[in-house]
Amino acid sequence: MTKIKETPDQKTIPETKKYKPTIVAFLCNWCSYAGADLAGVSRIQYAPNIRVIRVPCSGRVNPFYIVKALQNGVDGVLVSGCHPGDCHYISGNYYARRKFALLKRYLEYIGIEPERVQFSWVSASEGGRFAQIVEKVVNDVRKLGPNKSSIVKSLK
Amino acid sequence: MIKEIRQTVKQLFDQNNIDIFIGYTEGTLPLRKTPCFITKAEDVDKLVWDSFCTNNLTVYLPRFFVPKPREKEPKWPKVGILVSGCTGRSLVGLFKEKQVPRENIVIVGVPCDGVVDIKKIKGIEINEGSENKDAIIIKDKTGKEKEFKKDDLLADICVSCSCSVPPVHDYLTKGKGRVTMVPYTGVKEFEKMSREERWAYFEEQVSKCIRCYACRASCPNCWCKLCFVDHTLPQWTGITNNVSDVMFYHIGRIFHQAGRCVDCGACVAACPVDIDLRKFTYKLIEDVKVFYGYEAGLSLEELPPLSTYKPDDEQEFMTEP
Amino acid sequence: MKQRIIKKNKVMDLLSSLSESYRIYVAGEEKEISRFYEFNPEREILWDYSNTLIPAKEILFPQNQTLYEYRDQDITESNAKIPDTIIFGVRPCDAHAFTLMDKVFDTQEFQDPYYLKRHKATLIISLACNIPGIACFCTSFNSGPDGEKGSDIILHDLGEKLLVKSVTEKGEELLAKAGKDFSDPAQTDIDSKNKIMESAKQKISPQVNIANLKEKLDQAFDADFWDTLHRKCLGCAVCTYLCPTCHCFDITDETEKEVGRRIRCWDSCQFPLFTLHASGHNPRPTYKERMRQRIMHKFNYCPENFDHTFCVGCGRCVINCPVNLDIREVIKEING
Repeated sequence: MTKIKETPDQKTIPETKKYKPTIVAFLCNWCSYAGADLAGVSRIQYAPNIRVIRVPCSGRVNPFYIVKALQNGVDGVLVSGCHPGDCHYISGNYYARRKFALLKRYLEYIGIEPERVQFSWVSASEGGRFAQIVEKVVNDVRKLGPNKSSIVKSLK
Repeated sequence: MIKEIRQTVKQLFDQNNIDIFIGYTEGTLPLRKTPCFITKAEDVDKLVWDSFCTNNLTVYLPRFFVPKPREKEPKWPKVGILVSGCTGRSLVGLFKEKQVPRENIVIVGVPCDGVVDIKKIKGIEINEGSENKDAIIIKDKTGKEKEFKKDDLLADICVSCSCSVPPVHDYLTKGKGRVTMVPYTGVKEFEKMSREERWAYFEEQVSKCIRCYACRASCPNCWCKLCFVDHTLPQWTGITNNVSDVMFYHIGRIFHQAGRCVDCGACVAACPVDIDLRKFTYKLIEDVKVFYGYEAGLSLEELPPLSTYKPDDEQEFMTEP
Repeated sequence: MKQRIIKKNKVMDLLSSLSESYRIYVAGEEKEISRFYEFNPEREILWDYSNTLIPAKEILFPQNQTLYEYRDQDITESNAKIPDTIIFGVRPCDAHAFTLMDKVFDTQEFQDPYYLKRHKATLIISLACNIPGIACFCTSFNSGPDGEKGSDIILHDLGEKLLVKSVTEKGEELLAKAGKDFSDPAQTDIDSKNKIMESAKQKISPQVNIANLKEKLDQAFDADFWDTLHRKCLGCAVCTYLCPTCHCFDITDETEKEVGRRIRCWDSCQFPLFTLHASGHNPRPTYKERMRQRIMHKFNYCPENFDHTFCVGCGRCVINCPVNLDIREVIKEING
């Protein structure tokens, strides 16, 4: 059963009683995190389901963080960095691009839903774009349902 | 071919070019060959070369060159090694990653005709075995004999061998090596399966694992002094056979081979429970070739794909709103 | 102890009826991995196998054993009730190995409750080896294809029928209770068994000579041969995990806020981290020290501490070692 939250100037965000997707977002400090901050300052509404982890650069994101997040039971992972050519550390995002090109395809190959792990470029001035990307990721993950595959390790 | 190898090695010892040579010798089980380390010319007759020389010998090299920070000029030995195509590519990888100094290695290269995968003989315990040009003949516990065509038992990695001559060598014995090549289609066929089927297969294979780390120990690329599974702060993955932890280990180890794996099959051969590792390692080999035009271990100069970039690398996988 | 005969085709019925009061493990093969699986009447009983890949030690000393767990303030020991268990079809070498594991887990100073509780509840039915495996060398260790150490009942495969011999009181009790398909053996059965065992013993070669080996090793800690013996070793754990007498373990805690467990799992002296101290010092830093440790432990330290060599000659390490590092060759070289 979906309960539609209706509040002034908030987009209708359908929410089921039980399943609220949890998405971990690794945002690079200089561009994507700033972009997210701008979205907040500009009062842009977007799904609250992301948990942000600020990293200095998208190139700092160890592919293991993504696999570990899935193992911990998150429903989706987003990694976002500066646009190619704009990296604060010159080339960090270039290395990240190669790493994640291989990682995303590899995880998809072994059978993890491709929409659970997503990557994007968001610059510091793109608050609206950040909100749109988060909405897209959250909707994709919501459609997939909770992450209950055997990669999730839970002692409970 | 073996005479030429023995002669070359004897010469190396006589001319004092090497301190130790790593090759193969007769094993203690039927048909098996085993790595051997010889330190004097008189022992060259121990060396053998046939279709059962399957171990990747380059895995032994990094331990000869352990950094000794307190010694200004570390005395490292001169090591000779026998390599074929794929093991020669592993060696190039070790040079590139600076685990083994090129100037201390004398490479005796052998064009390889392919090795036999004994595990393909299923359901029979081999008590005795022999090989001739085209066939392998075995006897089981009861004395019953069975003959197999060598081509039928060829290891999967050899069927799709793209490089049977070591790319870098100091000496090369005569021979063309394997020239026929049937590309490995395992990855393409796997991709045709549905997502649920692929995950079920991955889980089924990986749940056989007994965490013996034979795959890691036999892989020349796994030279890390402290493997990620052994980290405790933070602990990436648990050490039990919990399927989620085992998955993390395999995903992690195989992904660490991205752009480095040369498909030598050492991990597959070492695994005591026969996990189908190649289906997963080969995906990364293919992707790296398709996207970055790179094949590991062919050139000493080419930069590894994850150590470099192009401003116009593909980014189709990225999310756009 | 008494000997009986049972027809091979009656064994499935026997096990099915026993499975009502016992948890039964039988040697079987699934996905090409042979080990001791829980009894399933649809899975064939293996009679001709040399030995399982994974030894029967995993029933009494599982690879991952939860010692206790906590949930909020409640702590539960995960060892509460072990059902009566039968392990069926164990080879004499594996049964012999249980007697050695007992020495480790049941000492004057400490009795390991997790191992002992399981062992006390378990009955071992072994199956003598008619044709030894290619790498078997059990006769080097006061045992043989018909060794009875560690078994409660031993079976001899005579083709269509089995000669069943109880070795302990526990075994005799079970057979007396289970008895409807048993009959008395004829002299021809006993002769047949003796003939098969003679032929089996002759097929076991090469032998490993452990006479005076312990004394030799007492003086050999700094010997030169250690410098060359270790070279092939990759440092994986295949030999230790598949060895029926290896018993080293690690204890790990896995916690998730209000829930947690303490788990004992197999560890291997061949791993580089096995002896790594918190200070960073490692008394066994290279493959040489670790290989020396393995050989000394099996052939010197354990004979010193437990009066028995910790090897039963099952041959699993020889067959499964990725580089064919043969412990028999190592002993031969040490003996000189």
